[in-house]
Amino acid sequence: MSYAVLLAPHFSLEALRCGAPELAGQPVALIAGEGRKAVITEVSPEAPMVEAGCAATLAMARCPGIVLRTRDFAAEAEAQRLLVAAGFTLSPRVETTGPGCCTVDLQGADLARSESEIRLRIAELAPLGLTLRAGIGATPLLASYAAHQTDSLLRVDDARAFLRTLPLEVGGPSADELAILRNWGLQTLGDLTALTKADVGQRLGARGVALWERAAGETTRVLRLVEPSRSFVAEWAYEPPIEMLEPLTFKLQRFAERVALELRAAGFVAEALTLYLLLEDGSDHRREFHLPEPGADVASWMRVLLSHLETLRLTSHVIGARLLAAPARPQQKQDGLFDTGLRDPVAFWENLARLGALVGPDRVGTPVVAETHRADAFTLAKPADVVPAATEPPIHPERGLVLRRFRPAWPAAVGLREGKPQALGGAVSGPIVATAGPWRCEGGWWHRDAWCVETWHVEVGDGAVYQLARTGETWCIEGVLD
Amino acid sequence: MMTYVELHARSAFSFLRGGSDPEALAREAARLQFPALALCDRGGVYGAVRLHMPSKEAGFRALAGCELIMEDGAVVPVLVSTQAGYRQLGALLTTANLRAPKGEGRVTWRELEEGNGGLIALTGDEEGPVRRAWRERGPDAAAEAGGKLRRIFGGGRLFVELQRHLVPGEERANEFLVDWAASVKLPLLATNGVNHATAADRNVADIFTCLREHTTLDAAGRRLARNRERHLKGAGEMTALFADLPEAIANTGRLAERLEFTLDQLDYRFPDFDVPAGETQISHLHRMTYLGAEERFGTVTGAVRRQIERELELIGRLGFSGYFLIVWDLCRFARGRGTLIQGRGSAANSVVCYALGITAVDPIANKLLFERFLSEGRSDWPDIDLDLPSMERREEVIQEVYQRYGRRGAAMTANVISFKGRSTMREVGKVMGLPDDVLDRFSSLFHGGDYPQTLELAEQLRMAGIAPNDARLRALLDTCQRVYGLPRHLGQHSGGMVLCQGELNDFVPLENARMPGRSVLQWDKSDCEDMRIVKIDLLGLGMMAVLQDTLEICAQRGQPVDLAQIPKDDAETFKLLQDADTVGLFQVESRAQMATLPRMKPKTFYDLVIEVAIIRPGPIQGNAVNPYLARRAGKEEVVYADERARPILERTLGVVLFQEQVLRLAMELGGFSASEADELRRAIGFTRSQERLNRMKDKLGESLRKNGVAPAATESILHSLASFALYGFPESHAISFALIAYASAWLKVHRPAAFYAGLLNNQPMGFYSPATLVQDARRRGVKTLPVCVQRSAEACEVIADDTLRLGFASVRGVRKAGVAAMLAARQKLPFVSLADFLRRTEFSAAERRALAKAGALNALSGHRRAALWEVESTHAGDELFRLVAVEGPEPVLSPLERMTHLERLQADYETLGLTTGPHPMRLMREKMPDLWAAAELKHGRPGARVKIGGPVITRQRPGTAKGFCFITIEDETGHANAIVRPNLFEELRLVINLEPSLMITGRLQNEQGVIHIMAEEIVALPMGGLPAEISHDYH
Repeated sequence: MSYAVLLAPHFSLEALRCGAPELAGQPVALIAGEGRKAVITEVSPEAPMVEAGCAATLAMARCPGIVLRTRDFAAEAEAQRLLVAAGFTLSPRVETTGPGCCTVDLQGADLARSESEIRLRIAELAPLGLTLRAGIGATPLLASYAAHQTDSLLRVDDARAFLRTLPLEVGGPSADELAILRNWGLQTLGDLTALTKADVGQRLGARGVALWERAAGETTRVLRLVEPSRSFVAEWAYEPPIEMLEPLTFKLQRFAERVALELRAAGFVAEALTLYLLLEDGSDHRREFHLPEPGADVASWMRVLLSHLETLRLTSHVIGARLLAAPARPQQKQDGLFDTGLRDPVAFWENLARLGALVGPDRVGTPVVAETHRADAFTLAKPADVVPAATEPPIHPERGLVLRRFRPAWPAAVGLREGKPQALGGAVSGPIVATAGPWRCEGGWWHRDAWCVETWHVEVGDGAVYQLARTGETWCIEGVLD
Repeated sequence: MMTYVELHARSAFSFLRGGSDPEALAREAARLQFPALALCDRGGVYGAVRLHMPSKEAGFRALAGCELIMEDGAVVPVLVSTQAGYRQLGALLTTANLRAPKGEGRVTWRELEEGNGGLIALTGDEEGPVRRAWRERGPDAAAEAGGKLRRIFGGGRLFVELQRHLVPGEERANEFLVDWAASVKLPLLATNGVNHATAADRNVADIFTCLREHTTLDAAGRRLARNRERHLKGAGEMTALFADLPEAIANTGRLAERLEFTLDQLDYRFPDFDVPAGETQISHLHRMTYLGAEERFGTVTGAVRRQIERELELIGRLGFSGYFLIVWDLCRFARGRGTLIQGRGSAANSVVCYALGITAVDPIANKLLFERFLSEGRSDWPDIDLDLPSMERREEVIQEVYQRYGRRGAAMTANVISFKGRSTMREVGKVMGLPDDVLDRFSSLFHGGDYPQTLELAEQLRMAGIAPNDARLRALLDTCQRVYGLPRHLGQHSGGMVLCQGELNDFVPLENARMPGRSVLQWDKSDCEDMRIVKIDLLGLGMMAVLQDTLEICAQRGQPVDLAQIPKDDAETFKLLQDADTVGLFQVESRAQMATLPRMKPKTFYDLVIEVAIIRPGPIQGNAVNPYLARRAGKEEVVYADERARPILERTLGVVLFQEQVLRLAMELGGFSASEADELRRAIGFTRSQERLNRMKDKLGESLRKNGVAPAATESILHSLASFALYGFPESHAISFALIAYASAWLKVHRPAAFYAGLLNNQPMGFYSPATLVQDARRRGVKTLPVCVQRSAEACEVIADDTLRLGFASVRGVRKAGVAAMLAARQKLPFVSLADFLRRTEFSAAERRALAKAGALNALSGHRRAALWEVESTHAGDELFRLVAVEGPEPVLSPLERMTHLERLQADYETLGLTTGPHPMRLMREKMPDLWAAAELKHGRPGARVKIGGPVITRQRPGTAKGFCFITIEDETGHANAIVRPNLFEELRLVINLEPSLMITGRLQNEQGVIHIMAEEIVALPMGGLPAEISHDYH
C-alpha cells in the first residue's frame, strides 16, 4: 500500500497572494489574533528577519514596509480546490487532509508513474502561485512526514531510519504534550521512541501512546475521501465562444438539473444561485440570485435565471460559465398567523430580477429609513419574504400637514430679513407671509460627508406652505406641505 | 434685556456625557455675563468645586445641583437652595451609592419623598420622568409622572422645564408641558439642557456618547446629538428662543435668586480627638508634645522650647490641635502593630510633628522653615503625609481609620482619571472607526510614558498608518485635543483620606470604591484643598515595606538594627553612593541619579538630601543641576544673585533647589507676608492652573523690583519659581526621603543579604526587575540559591550573611495555597523522596512541572530532567495511575539526560523570571568578541567607537530630556548606559521600544566617572534562544 501527500507549506500566504497581484514581490506576513496580541503566522521570503510567532509590531520594526494581512479564507478555499483537483489527477481516492494538504491513496498505481505525475503537478501549480511538496510512504502518516521534510518530492522506503531524525512537531503532539516533551529534552521523534512506549503511556496517557506510535510509524488510518460533487457547482467553457442565448440556456438547464439532483440526494435545497459568465475580453459577469423560497425545483430556478439573461447586454462573447448553488436545509418554518405572504413569490422575484437588470441591482429593494438624523436618508434592503403584521399604533400619531417631497429638490433663491426667509425666487417666487423654524440638523462631522441642514416652513402668498432647506448658503425647496 | 440664568448644565463630570469641563463652562458663563450658573452633573456633584473656584474669580455664582438617577431610570434635576438642601442631597446620593456597586447607585422615590428639604426640582429634559412618560406612554402618563413630582416637592419647589434645541417635533412635547403647567399652576422654566460649553464642543459629546454606548460614530446613528445647540447661550439668544414664553426666561432669574446656597457655605470641621477628662485638645497636645520632645531631644533646650511654644500657640489659635492628635494617634496605632510609619512633606518642618513622632526629621537641627508647613495667614489645613509599608500593613491602618470614624465619617479622596496620552487617541480613534491595527501601531510607537513626543500628533498618526489625506484626520486631531484632559471616570486616590466631625456626606457625597471596604468622596484632593477639607495621606511606599522586612529579618538573625540609631556618616555607605552602586536603593537608583552621584560625590547626609532633590523636573528645568555641581566641584564660583539671598541659599551654593528657598526669597527679598508666602506655596503646588501661578509670579516680580532686587536676580528667582511648579521638592520632604534613601543604602552595605531579601519579597517595585537585583546581589558578594522544596519558605530567606534562598513566591504559576499545604506537610515530616513529595502535596500537574523545571525538586531527584520525568509518572487525567503510583514501588531512574547549562538558564527565566546562575550574556560573550563588557567601558578612551550589547533593563525618555532617550543594558559585568539622540530615536523607535535585547554602537563618553555611549547605530541583539529580561520602561 502507498499513499501520497500533496502539501503546500505556505498555503495561507500563497493563497492570499494568488488573489492579490499587488502583493507580488512585497514582504508580506499573515497575522492571527486580536489587537496587540496579533502574531505572525506565516511570512514571505522577502522578510527574512521576521519569523512566525513574533508580534506584529515587532515584525514592523524588523521589516519596515511589511504588509500584514489576515487569512483570506475564500482564497484558501479556491486554492484548496486546486490542490484537490491535482490530487484527483493521481487517483480517484483523495482526502482533503487540511488546509493546503491532501492525501491520495495510490493503491494499485505504478509508483514510478505516480512520482512523475506528482512532479508534473508540482511544476504546473507553481506558476499559479502554489508551491507544492509531496511525500510518498507506506502509510498516510509517513507520506505526510515525508512531505513535511522535503522541498520537492520524497519517497520513504526505510521508515525507521527516516523517522528517527524528524522533529517532534511532525508527530503532531498537542501544545501541552510538546511542552512536556521539550521539558524532557526531546527534540526528535527518534528521541521519543528511544523511551519505552509503556513509560510514555504512564506519563502521557492514551494520547501519549498514540503519539509514540505515530513517532514509530506504527499508525495507519482510513482516508476520509472527498466527493467532488458535494460542492454543488457546475462550470463549463465554450469553444468557440458563444454569441446567442440558446446554447447557454441549453447547457444551463442541463447542469442545473445535475446540481439540483445532487442537492436533493444530499438532503439539501438551494437558497441562492450564483451565475458567472466568463467573457472573451477577459472580463466576467457575476450575478447572485436569492431564491424567494429555498428549493430544488429546476423550473423555478430557470425562470429566475432566464429573466435575468433575457435582459442582459454583454460587452463580449461568453467563453465559459459557472453555476453555483448554495445549499440549505429545506425550510420547515410555518408563517405566523397574521403574516402576509406573497401571493406569487416566484413571479415577484422574477420581476425584481428584471428590474435589477434594467436599473442595476443596487437600486432595487425596500427603502428603509437610515439610522441617522439626516432627513430623507435611507438604505435599500432586500424585500421581506413576508409582510410583517402591523405594529401597535404610535403613542403620538402624526399630525399636521404632510410633506410631499420634490425629487430632486427645487433650487431656490431666498431673501432674508433678520436671518429669516422673507421672499422666494426660482420655481416658486413671491413674498413669504409666514415662517416656522428653523430646525437644525447636523452630522457626519468626522468625515468628508459632513452635513448641516437648516430647515424652514414658509407660507407664500397663495397659501401654499413649502419646506425650505439651507445647506451652507444654498437653498432649495424640499417639498410642499399638503 | 431679560436676565437669563442657565440652571441645567452638565459638565464632563457627568462622565462620558458632558463635553466640557466645568472650567470651560465657567469661562463661557463669564463671557456671556451670566449672574449665576447651576451645574447639574449626572448622579453627583463631582464638578462642583471646579465650577465654584473659577466662578469666584469670574464674578458669577456657581449654583449647586445634580441630576438624580431614580430607581426607574428617570433623571430628575434638582437644585440646592439652602445649606440643609445640600446636606440632603449629599445624604440622598450617599445612601444610594453606598448600597450599590460603584456607578450603579439609584435613588428611590420613597427616599426622595422623605428627604427633599432645601431642594428644588425641575421636571427634566427628555430623560426626565415627565417627558419620558409622555414620549413612551402619552399625556396621561406624563401628567401622572408630573403629579408624583408635585406631591414630593409641592407647588413652590417644582418647575416645569422647557428646552428648545431647534429639533423638529420638540414643540409638541413643549405644548403639552405648557398646558399641563397651566392646568396644575406650576411655573415654567427655560433651560438649554447644556451638554457642552460651546457649539464646537458638541463633537466631544458625540465621542462620549459612542464610548458610553460602546459603538462608533458611523454606527451610532440617532444616538448622537441632532445638532450642536446644547451649549451655553446668552440671555439674548434664549430670550429670542422663548419669545412666546417670556415667563419661562424670567423665572430663571427668580429661581436663581432663591438658590441661596453656594459652596462657600460649607462648614467643614475636622473631628476632635477624645482627650482624657480634664484636658482640652490643646492641653493634651501640649503635654504629648513635651513628652515626645524629651524622648527625642533628651533635654529640651531653650531653642527647642521656644519653637515648640511658637508652634503650639499657632496650632491652638488656628484650631488644629485635634488634627495633630489624631495623626499622632494613628502613628501610635501603626507602631503599636510593629509597622514602620514616617511623615513626609512639609510636616517635617514642624518640631511638634517631630516630637510627636509623626516625622523623623529634626527641623531645628536642619533649620527648616516652619511657615512652609503652617503659618499665620494660612486658612487651609496643614498637610501631613504618612508613609507606610505598601500592601497589607497600610490597609490595616486605613481600615482602622474607617473603624474609628465609620463609613460615613472617613473616606478616600477621589482620583480623577482623565483622558491622557495615547489612551485618548486609542479611544477617540476607535470611536472614529480607525482600524485596530492602526491603533495598535500607534500604541506601540508611542509607549505610555514615552513623552513628551518629539513628533507632531499628525506625524505620529502618519507613522501609525493614517494617510495625511485621510478624511478623518482633521476631525481626529481636533477632537483629541478637545478630549485630552477631560475626566473619564473616578478612581480613588492612592492614600488620601478625609475625616470629619459628623458625616462626610454633609460636605460631599460618598460612593463605594471598586476595592471592597473602601468608600470614596466625589472630589479629588485639589477639590478638598480648595474647600479646606483636611486630608491625611496614608501612602504606601514599597521601600518602607522593604525596610520593614529587612529589619525583621535582621532581628530574626540576631543582628537587630534601629534605623534611628544608624550612623549618619558611615564611610562605606557614602562610598556606595559615590560609586553609584545604587540598584535597589530608594530615590537614587534611577539612571539619572546614577549619572549624577559620581559627580556629586555625596559625603554627608545633607549631600544626599540635595542629591534626592536635585534630580527632579523642577531643578532640571530651572537649570540648577549643572551650576550646583560645577560650584560643588570648585569649577564655578559661588555667587548670589542678591547678597540678601546669601543666608537662604548658602547651603545650596547659591542655587535654588528647594521650595522653602523660593518662599524665603519671596519673604526676605520680596517682602511677602506669611499669608502671601502661603498663597505662593499654594500656587506652586496647584498644577491645574497656570494662570494662578502666573499671577503670583507677576506679583512677586513686582515686589522684588520694588525692593530693589536687580532685574537679573529677579528674573532668576522667577525662573526658579516657574520650575518649582514642575514638581520641585520641599527641603523637608527631601530630608524625609533622604532618610529612607540613606537607610536603604546603609542596609545594602551592612546587611546586604537581608536587604536583597526584602527587595525580592516586595516586588514589583522600583526600577529594576528581580533578575537585575539578583545579578546586583551577586556582584556585591551575595549569592542566591535556587528554590528547593526541602529548604525554601514561601518568601525569599537569608540563610547566611552572604547567601539568600529564593522562596516559592518566585516560582511562576504556583499557588500560595498549594505552597502552604506543602510547607505544612514538610513541617510534619520531611519528604524522603520525590514520590513521597508527590503523594503528600496537592500541587497541580502544571505546578509540579514548574517546580521541577525551576530545579526546586533537585534535592529529591538529582536533577531537573529526572524530576520532570518523575512528576509526570502519575498521569494527570487518570486517577487509576495515581492510585497505582501511591501504592506502587519507587520509580526507577530517569532515562532523560541532565539539562545543559543553556537549558537550565532558559528554564530559570521561564519559571522564575531570573537566574541564580551566571548572566545570560556570559554565554553570549564568546560569540561576540567585539562587544565591550559594561565593566570594561571605564578603561576605554573617551570618543572611541565602542559596541555594547545585552538585554535592555530600562528605557527612559523623561520630559526634561528634550526628546533624548536613555537605554540601560545589562551584562554579566554590570550596566551600560546609552544616550539616543531624538532623530535617531524617531528613526529606530520600534527597534528601541520592542526589541528585548539591543546591540548599540557609539562614541564613549566618560565624564567624571559617568560613562555613556552616545548611540550611532542600534540593532536587535539576537540572543540565540537565550532569555531576555523584562525591561522597566518609561517609569
